[in-house]
Amino acid sequence: MKVVFLFLLLCITTVRFAQTGNIDFNSPNNIKKFADYLYCDDDYFRAAIEYERLADINRSDTIEFKIALSYSYIKDYYSAIQKFSGIINSSVYFNEAKLEEMKVNFLINDFAGLRSYFKNSFIAVVNKYQTEGEKLFNFSYLFTDDELPSKDEFLLPFDVNEEEKISSFYDWKKEPPYKKGTLAGIMSAVIPGSGKIYAGETGDGIVSFLTTTVFAFIAYDNFKAGHTTRAWIWTSVAALFYAGNVYGSVAAAQVHNAKITFEFNDGLNVYLNKKNYYITKYEFCD
Amino acid sequence: MIKIFFIIVLLFTGFVLPQTNQLKQVGDKAGWVKWEKADTRYEKPSEFRHREYSFDTENVSGFIAKSTANAYWYFISDLDGDNCPYRPSCSSFFVQASKETNIVQGTLMFFDRFTRDFNIYKRHEHYPRVKDGHYYDPVSLYTLDENQIDYIPPSVTVTK
Amino acid sequence: MNFVINRKHIATTILLISSASFAQNSFDAQFNFAKKLYSNENYFDTVTELKRLLFFDEKGEFNYEANMLIGKSYKQGAKFSDAIRYLTLAEINAINIDELYNTRIEIIRINILRRTTRRAINLLDILETDERFTDRSDEIKYWRGWAYMFADDWEQAAQTFAEIDTTHVLKALAEEVDDDLYSVSFAKTISYIIPGAGQIYTGEYISGLLSLGWNVLWGYLTINAFVSERIFDGIVIANFLWLRFYRGNLQNAENFAQEKNMVISNRALNYLQFEYDGLKP
Repeated sequence: MKVVFLFLLLCITTVRFAQTGNIDFNSPNNIKKFADYLYCDDDYFRAAIEYERLADINRSDTIEFKIALSYSYIKDYYSAIQKFSGIINSSVYFNEAKLEEMKVNFLINDFAGLRSYFKNSFIAVVNKYQTEGEKLFNFSYLFTDDELPSKDEFLLPFDVNEEEKISSFYDWKKEPPYKKGTLAGIMSAVIPGSGKIYAGETGDGIVSFLTTTVFAFIAYDNFKAGHTTRAWIWTSVAALFYAGNVYGSVAAAQVHNAKITFEFNDGLNVYLNKKNYYITKYEFCD
Repeated sequence: MIKIFFIIVLLFTGFVLPQTNQLKQVGDKAGWVKWEKADTRYEKPSEFRHREYSFDTENVSGFIAKSTANAYWYFISDLDGDNCPYRPSCSSFFVQASKETNIVQGTLMFFDRFTRDFNIYKRHEHYPRVKDGHYYDPVSLYTLDENQIDYIPPSVTVTK
Repeated sequence: MNFVINRKHIATTILLISSASFAQNSFDAQFNFAKKLYSNENYFDTVTELKRLLFFDEKGEFNYEANMLIGKSYKQGAKFSDAIRYLTLAEINAINIDELYNTRIEIIRINILRRTTRRAINLLDILETDERFTDRSDEIKYWRGWAYMFADDWEQAAQTFAEIDTTHVLKALAEEVDDDLYSVSFAKTISYIIPGAGQIYTGEYISGLLSLGWNVLWGYLTINAFVSERIFDGIVIANFLWLRFYRGNLQNAENFAQEKNMVISNRALNYLQFEYDGLKP
């Protein structure tokens, strides 16, 4: 009797600590709780690792989606794309995952990939975010040198309040205010420094003009005074500055073009970032 | 008898738990790995500039440019102070430009660089800086090959 | 009746002990697991497991120890800002003087290691003026000495170690380094008077002589131009050549002294890192 009673007690205590007093840090439920905490603490890599420890049976649509988002947030875009594309049609986050995949394509500058993805998969399977997808699709043209769609077609998915800004982006891309290198070179060949001023480098243009003319004048002055050797030395210096100025004007136009392209792309990225790539924020953390 | 049960209960509770704490190993993901022990050196990194006097070029224009630059560095540039606001310095720019293009184009690029050297107007709005405060003005911007141009805005501090 | 009472007692005791000991063991086991990861230099996972422990430790029993070890793990990964963040959490949760002192010293060591030595010295000042830590003044001085060494102030370092013990091995080292160092201001001053002298003082003989040569040449040409009343030539040579090389001479004197000093102090710092046996930051 005594033994049976004590055995029962042992059973009760074992069951008890398994349920309440004991914390099994690695039970699926606790792993999930901990992962949720890490995710909301912006510790995304650890959150992803914890979520991934859960067996398939314990993973919800939300968890699968949060894993993919975590990789995207820590800029592991390779894993992010794999995870987003692995989210199946029946998931409640299917549409969001497809849009997020487009965003990742943007972040890795894979615009060609983005476009084929949009045309071949997105349009066919996503039913909720067609406009948002189309906006990103159109935006991709602003980052490449591929031929732009017509302006009306381009502006179609955008709201009225966005139209003005998007229209100015489009116009810039259609006719970028590039400077022509050849023209800059010819200008500087005629009037030293003028090509640099045309290419936006006013200071360098003035300096080019001064160096070339001053050395040319010194050379001329020496010729006039009969100092032929010195005159030829100064002539060579003036000629080198002159030739350097023509060459430099062509280069300055190229650098100017690279600069404004950079600034344009930067402006696009800032705009897209401000719009969060047309993806609504998720409310996973209170 | 009761004592024995007590001991068993205690032992049992003691043994079970450490096992539940064994972790399932999760492999590191591609592109993002767990950070590891880092080697923190006590010594200070040297920021002093050392000239590269050795010849590593096989073409003639590179050799001529490098010889001229070496002589200039040894007898003049190392002795007349830090007068070049840019990195690479004017003479290094000449050597690199000649190596990457040819002596004629290198010379033109060198004289063009002189023009920028003389212009003290609003440099800080034009060029990014390297860590030691010099302006960064690399050869790659001026070879006339647009694909080589990697524009860096002035707000960035260049580490290369 | 007696037996029944006994049974109840036994039952209650078993329940209490088993649940209490289990709760204790479960958290202890997790902490030990983290410590094992730490000793295996698996610092990333150490942090994960300690964060897990802290997350479930609702009573906050491990707030000090776990945060301390997280801080140390981040330190090993050279993530010093994170390390200090968690060590500060440990400091807030310290329940006695020893714990408080240990966290502060850890924070100071990190500030030494990452060369925010001014911060380290400020924190040491606070510790030194705190009456609770008067019996640990030697240890506080020891870390102050290290802070001075990392701040490149070897003279102060030697003095600080001497306050602990005049025969302290680090006192001898710091003194030796301080003796070996070149005086930057002396190098510059003598180059002001005789161009090239500062370079020669730092062992750069050829550079010193070449500097002297150029300055003599341009000086001669300048004076010669003025004497023969070629004022314009004189101004041009003085301004564009003599002054340029004179200024270069001063820059070189300063740079050489600084560079040589860096080699000397780096040699000592390398010794401290790889050969010195005592406590290190």
